[in-house]
Amino acid sequence: MNFYEHTIIARQDTSPSQIKQIQDKYSKIIENNEGNIVKYESWGLMHLSYLIKKNKKGNFLHFKIEGNGKTIRELEKSEKIDKNLLRFLTVKVKKLDLETDYFKKSEEVGKK
Amino acid sequence: MKKKNIKKKNSQNNFSKLSVFQNQKYKFKKKCPLSGKGAPVIDYKNIKLLKRYISENGKILPSRITSVSQKKQRELSLSIKRARNLALI
Repeated sequence: MNFYEHTIIARQDTSPSQIKQIQDKYSKIIENNEGNIVKYESWGLMHLSYLIKKNKKGNFLHFKIEGNGKTIRELEKSEKIDKNLLRFLTVKVKKLDLETDYFKKSEEVGKK
Repeated sequence: MKKKNIKKKNSQNNFSKLSVFQNQKYKFKKKCPLSGKGAPVIDYKNIKLLKRYISENGKILPSRITSVSQKKQRELSLSIKRARNLALI
């Protein structure tokens, strides 16, 4: 099994309930494909440093996943056609860093 | 005799200057701030750290200015590019 860090940017005009739906949808996909979510982080609404599809802000969702290549393939396949998402990024890591959270709500990181 | 004395003084002065110059050159060689014990971990989520190594226009600074080691510079440029993809920088 490998470890992955997966980040999704959703559109700025998604409501909190929609974000919850997105989170449930993709966590289901992960769990149906031999994957396992170790940790979920919501970074909240943040400023993008440049426009993406006429969006100034984005909702960031971050998953820490334990899984294999098939999990990621299925996950990215369905993300490509999702119109609510702007970007996604998957990074393979050797060890999951569960302690440090760079985007806590009290701090204003990623302003620029 | 007088001339010889002057010559000697001059030569000594030159040598001392040269040595001083070399010493300064040694001082300019800083250590890499990202390697060694207690150094911060390079990560695409750590924007505070990455911002120190990009210019105002968002370009990656060369390692000869920041004195980052070659190995760490590679890691740094990769994580900066990841952060750019997520529109964090």
